[in-house]
Amino acid sequence: MSGPADKRPTLLALTSSALLLPAYQGVRADAAPEFIELGMRYSKYEEDNTQGSKTFGGSSQRYDIDAAQFHLLAPVADNWAVAVDVQWEDMSGASPWFVGQSLDGGPKVIMSGASIEDTRTEVSVTTRYYYDRGNAGLNYVRSKEDDYDSNAIALDGSFNSADGMTTYSGAISTSRDDIEPTQGSVPTNTLKNDKDISSAWIGVSRIVSKNAIVRFGLAYTYREGFLTDPYKKNDKRPGERNEWAFSTGYRHYFFWPDGALQADYRYFDDDWGVASHTLNLAWHQNLWRDTQLIPFARYYSQGEADFFANIADTDKRYYADDYRLSSFGAVTVGLRVRQQIGNWAITAVGERYETDESWGVYSGDESPALVNYWRYSFGLDYVFR
Amino acid sequence: MNQLPLFEHQFRAMGGPCRLRFACADDGLAGRVITAAETEVRRLEQKYSRYLPDSLTSTINRAAGAQQSVPVDDETAAMLGFAHTLWQQSDGLFDLTAGILRRAWDFRSGRLPAQSAIDRLLPLIGWQQVQWDASSIRLPLAGMEIDFGGCVKEYACDSVGAVLARHGIERGLVDLAGDMVVVGSGSALEPWSVGICHPRRSGAAIATFSLAAGSLASSGDYERCMVVDGRRYGHILNPLTGRPVQGLAAVSIAAPQCLVAGGSATIAMLKPQGEALAWLAELGLPWFAVDSAMACHGELGER
Repeated sequence: MSGPADKRPTLLALTSSALLLPAYQGVRADAAPEFIELGMRYSKYEEDNTQGSKTFGGSSQRYDIDAAQFHLLAPVADNWAVAVDVQWEDMSGASPWFVGQSLDGGPKVIMSGASIEDTRTEVSVTTRYYYDRGNAGLNYVRSKEDDYDSNAIALDGSFNSADGMTTYSGAISTSRDDIEPTQGSVPTNTLKNDKDISSAWIGVSRIVSKNAIVRFGLAYTYREGFLTDPYKKNDKRPGERNEWAFSTGYRHYFFWPDGALQADYRYFDDDWGVASHTLNLAWHQNLWRDTQLIPFARYYSQGEADFFANIADTDKRYYADDYRLSSFGAVTVGLRVRQQIGNWAITAVGERYETDESWGVYSGDESPALVNYWRYSFGLDYVFR
Repeated sequence: MNQLPLFEHQFRAMGGPCRLRFACADDGLAGRVITAAETEVRRLEQKYSRYLPDSLTSTINRAAGAQQSVPVDDETAAMLGFAHTLWQQSDGLFDLTAGILRRAWDFRSGRLPAQSAIDRLLPLIGWQQVQWDASSIRLPLAGMEIDFGGCVKEYACDSVGAVLARHGIERGLVDLAGDMVVVGSGSALEPWSVGICHPRRSGAAIATFSLAAGSLASSGDYERCMVVDGRRYGHILNPLTGRPVQGLAAVSIAAPQCLVAGGSATIAMLKPQGEALAWLAELGLPWFAVDSAMACHGELGER
C-alpha cells in the first residue's frame, strides 16, 4: 500500500483528467450557441475642438459620431448559428482640409467648415458552423454612406489540437469600396473611384497553464485603387499599399482577487513607411457573482509615412498632410462595467483618447490636426433562455 | 432571495430512476430546462450504452479484433483518458474491459461459474491491451468489449448540472439513480437532504446527509448478488482474478465533480475491505462506507 504522499496525487490525477471532458468546460468557444441573444448598443464619439492657436480661423469644430447598434445571434440547428448586426451612424462636424504655413512659420490647420453631415448604415450577416474541434464562419458586410459604398466578404476558421490546449485560426477577407465624394464646400480629389482590399490572417493560441493563455497572430493586408483621401486638399497617395502586422497577447487569471490580467502587443509595418506599436493592458475584475469592472489602457506610437509633411510639397509624386499618417503617440484610458441581472446584461464604457507628437517613439513633425476624443457607450443584452 | 417555485421531473434512463428538482421563476423556462436536461441524459445513453446496438460503445465492441480502429470524438477521447487514469490509480482494478466477466457470472442462476469459464475470459480482459489515442480506439482481440458503465451516469449527472446552470438555474438537484449533483451554491441556500440506500434492505436509507454544493456518488453491492453455500458473492468483480471482491458493501463519496466521486467510489468498492478503508481515509474527499458487517465508517456529515 502506498502512503499519503502518493494518495493526494490520486485525487489530483482523477480531477485533472475528468476536467478535460466537455461538461466541465463551461460555455466553450466552440460550442454552438444554445439560446437566442439580442443586444442593443448606443455609443457617442466626440472629438475635442482643435485648439484655436492651431487653426486659421474658420470652424474648429471637429467630428461627432452617434452610433446605434443592433445584434441578433440565433442558433438555427445543433451546429449552426446565424448572427445579424446592424449599425447606424450619424456623423457631423468638420475635418481638416489642409495644413498651411502661418506667418510665424509654424503649420496651422484649415478645417473644411461644418459642412459634413453624413449617415452610414452597415449590415453584417455571419453564419457559423461548429464542428467537433472548432468552428468556421462566413461573413458578409454591406456598408453604405452618401459618398461611400462597401461590400466585404470574409471566411474564418479555427481548429483545436487533440489535447484541446492549442487553437489554430485563420481568416481571409476581401472588399470592394466605391467612393463618390459629396460635392459641396471643398473641391474633391476625385468624382468617382474605387479600391479593393484583401487580407489574410493566421493565429495560434495556447493554454500554457490552468490560469494562463498566450496567443500570436500574423496579418497581411493588400490595398489597391484610390487610396487618397478625397476631401483633403493636399493628398495624393500611391495606388497600392502592403501592410503586415504581428500581434501577441497574454491573459492570466488570478484566483485572488478573482480577476484576470490581459496584455496585448501589436507591431504594424507597411510599404508607405508607416510603422506602429500598440500596447493594450486591461484588468478584468469580477465582483460578487454578476459584476465585472474592466479598467483598460492603451498606448499607441506611430511613425510617419515617407510622403507625409505638414506642409505638403505638391510637386512630389506622392504627398499628404493627413495627421493620421504623421508621427505621434497616443494614450487611451477607460473603464468598462458589465452587470448581469438574470437574463439581462448591462454594459457601459467610457474612454478618453489623447495624442501628442512627443509621446511617440518615432520622431517627426507634429501635426496641428492631431485630435483628442471621448467615447461613451451603453449596451443592453438579453438572452432568451 | 425570493423563494422561487420548485419544479420536479422524473423519468427513467440509464437503467434507473432519474429525478430533477429545481427552483425556477417561470413555467416556460422550467419546461425548456426539463427538455434540455432529459435530452442530455438520453444523448449520453444513446452514445455510450452497451445495450443499444447503434451506440458508439457497441460500434467499438463490434470492431474488436479487426485491423481498423474506430474513430472517436473529443468527448469520448476524454472519457477514455479518465478511464485510463482510474485504471492507473487503482493498479488495474478498474478496467473498462472487465464487463465480459458477466458472461461467466450469472447472479440470477444461484450457481458459481466453472473456473474454466472464467479462465477463458481472462485473456480478453486488460486495458493495457487496448490501443487508443485522442482520435481512435482499437480492441485488438475478437471478443473483447468495453463498457463505460462505471463513468457515464456520473458524467451525465455533471453534464445535466451544467445544462441547468446554463439556463440560469441557481438552485437545483440532479439525481440519476443515486448519483447526485447540486446546482448553485452559497450559504444563503438551504442544503438538499439526500439519503443513501441501505445495502441490504431495499428501499430503506442507511444514512441521510445534507448536500449544499458539489456532488455525491454511491456504489454498492446491493444491486446484484447471490448466496451459494452460505457465502455471499457480490457483483463487483476483480478483473485480474475474475472473481467477486470481498470488499465493502457500499461507498459514497462527495466531490466537486460527480465523475470524480463516482470513479473514486468504484475504486474503493474494488479493493479488499481493509485496504479500501485506508485508501478512502487518504483520498482527500469526504466519504462514507458500509462494511460487510453493516458497520458505518467515514465522515461525510451528520447522519
